[in-house]
Amino acid sequence: MGSLIAQIVSVTLMNLGSLRRRLWMSLAMVLASAVVVAILLAFLAMAKGFEETMRGAGSSQIAILMREGSSTELNSVILQDQVNLIGESAGVARDANGPLVSPELYVIVDGIKKSSGTEANIPLRGLNKTGMDMRTNMQLVEGRMFTPGTNEMVVGAGVLREFNGFEIGKEVRFGKNLWKVVGVFSTGGNIFESELWADIKTIQSHYNRGNSYQSIRTKLQNDSDIKPLQDSIEREPRLNLEVQTEQEYFASQGKQLQYIATFGWIISAVMALGALAGALNTMYTSVADRAKEIATLRALGFSNFSAFCGTIAEAMVLAVTGGLLGSLAAFVFFDGLNTSTLGGSFTQVVFSFEMSPDLFLQGAILALAIGFVSGFFPAWRAARMPVIVAFRHAA
Amino acid sequence: MNEFYLIYKNMTRKPLRLFLTCFAIFIAFLIFGAVTSLKTALNSSVELSADNRLVVFNRINFTKSLPIAYYQKVAAVEGVKDVTHLNWFGGYYQEPARQVVSMAVEPESYLRVYKEVVVPEDQKRAWFNNRQGVLVGEKLAQIYGWKIGDRIPISSNIFTHKDGGYTWEFVVSGIFKGDTEQYDTRQMLFHYKYFMETQTFGGDWIGWMALTTEDSSLNEKVAKTIDDTFANSQNETDTSTEKAFNKAFIEQIGNIGLIIFSVVFTAFFTILVVVGNTMALAIRERTGEIAVLKTLGFSSSRIFRMVLSESMLVALVGGLSGLAAAWLLVEGVKTFLARFLPNLILDGNIALQALVFMLLLGLITGLLPAFNALRLNIVTAFNRQQ
Repeated sequence: MGSLIAQIVSVTLMNLGSLRRRLWMSLAMVLASAVVVAILLAFLAMAKGFEETMRGAGSSQIAILMREGSSTELNSVILQDQVNLIGESAGVARDANGPLVSPELYVIVDGIKKSSGTEANIPLRGLNKTGMDMRTNMQLVEGRMFTPGTNEMVVGAGVLREFNGFEIGKEVRFGKNLWKVVGVFSTGGNIFESELWADIKTIQSHYNRGNSYQSIRTKLQNDSDIKPLQDSIEREPRLNLEVQTEQEYFASQGKQLQYIATFGWIISAVMALGALAGALNTMYTSVADRAKEIATLRALGFSNFSAFCGTIAEAMVLAVTGGLLGSLAAFVFFDGLNTSTLGGSFTQVVFSFEMSPDLFLQGAILALAIGFVSGFFPAWRAARMPVIVAFRHAA
Repeated sequence: MNEFYLIYKNMTRKPLRLFLTCFAIFIAFLIFGAVTSLKTALNSSVELSADNRLVVFNRINFTKSLPIAYYQKVAAVEGVKDVTHLNWFGGYYQEPARQVVSMAVEPESYLRVYKEVVVPEDQKRAWFNNRQGVLVGEKLAQIYGWKIGDRIPISSNIFTHKDGGYTWEFVVSGIFKGDTEQYDTRQMLFHYKYFMETQTFGGDWIGWMALTTEDSSLNEKVAKTIDDTFANSQNETDTSTEKAFNKAFIEQIGNIGLIIFSVVFTAFFTILVVVGNTMALAIRERTGEIAVLKTLGFSSSRIFRMVLSESMLVALVGGLSGLAAAWLLVEGVKTFLARFLPNLILDGNIALQALVFMLLLGLITGLLPAFNALRLNIVTAFNRQQ
């Protein structure tokens, strides 16, 4: 047994030592494996980053209400008397100042994207004091909060990163109105950072919204229990609203880029087939080249199995090297890459690619699989070829 | 001996290797064909827009509305040929998930501005005369099986009907086609007046305007005149060509598309490099045989031609079958994806690009070995064999 292992080790070392002689072949194999891994990781990192941005935004303690059938805040319309009715409903948490209900408004404005220099949609959200207090994970990174009743706004860190002209102290014009940036806020990297926040009454009056809103957020009395709210909506014909927890709402929106991960897996799988064909080819040729050497080893008394293992080991080493290079390339080019795309509410969602450890694991598995498959068949063939035939062919 | 037979024999001497090489090329071009079609489909609205068509939006953002009074003022601007106005309805059929692109428009001027919309004369008349009438695009009608005369309920995810509920009833007055295959006919158009009379918000506002200029050279001047007219008013405007607007809209989706496509194309080229390497090596292995052929009296140019043809042939066999598979794939998913990507098509342009890459692959992998073969000195070659 010990001698078998010793044989395998020495054959493997010999194979690896002679790699330089088959430089181009070996490089081709490394490259094939690197590309497949890099592609897979790029797609997965994108989907992961988007999902994290969305998932982090939703709280199970907060319910969000919109007009039924609206599906996003942008389309929804809610009137003042509906807000009052919700405030009286069961299941809504209260404090000393009354029910914790935040009617919110949403105006889409244009910003200039740094990456392309073109206009893109950013949500300008109107909030009142209750709405601000409800967002417990909000932190001012710089500056101060806006003063209600003035044309002041605070900008999300994501907006600042991806768009031009939202630095503190800058004045921004939306239509006839000039807004002054007085603060930058962070919400831990989630979707709210892609927004601008300002006083709700000011927005209503500037943009002719009268006394209408677009969504209501309310703190729930019991965590994720929306049943009492749902019941009051059903009983009250004036409440044509749909209720869900914020967590559910953003989870469904986060699924949006799920197709990218799926697409990535499909493309990588197909590409992997192509690369595998290339890798197999390389290994077959490389083994055929050395048919005589392998036969010599076997004639010297090395077992078939050690010759087989040596070849597989060589293929795996090449594939894993490629996998590492591919992961590294993906990490260098994509990890933390900031980008933004049009989200479900028709506005820009700023997010970063995220290369988490489990993605590396997936890449490593893929590389090992490529190495194993592309080594197995040529190794099998080499190990089974009768020694005499190998010598005759090589001659 | 027949030259082609020799090439064939050389090519198939190692069937497994030939198969693997062709397969890798096949995969590369399958992906190239499919992904390029996808990319073209995503960009197609940009290329289809007319040169002399401008769109006028609220400066704040295109989701903000404009007063209807602007319509007459824009019509009076010099250089404007026809102008129409549109309102986004946010329609869906039966369930919110089944969204229908639906717009409330001023019928007669709409058809003047959007010449791509082709409607038979009698259906056009019927639509003009029926206030509840709706003009449905061919593809949209196909998806839901709507026919002329059908009464269809369309709901809005934004507006409320003044009789309660969110559902409007329309009568299909006509079905329109696009003037080209690529024109997206998954949309429906209905009367602005009917919309305004039946929705609860009231008011005289329009979503945006589209206009054609007398000539595309006037575009800039017209756009400037319009924006100047409304400068410093309650609703300032932003006028741009439809092309520029569409392009900006697609850019909102962002560099995500760009990132995906560049990643895929890098992969495509890498596979070609890997395969090309094997192909070139396969020919180099045969140095000795080529020396034999030369000894037998094959002319250098003939050998050059044979070596090059062989790699060309491998590239074309793999590449063309991959392209064919991509075409089948695109045709197969076309109807399935019609709702999202109406213009998914693998056209001659893409096929041509693919062909160029195949030829390049064959040329580059074959050229160096072919040159070596051409210049090969018989004596050195035999010496090297030892």
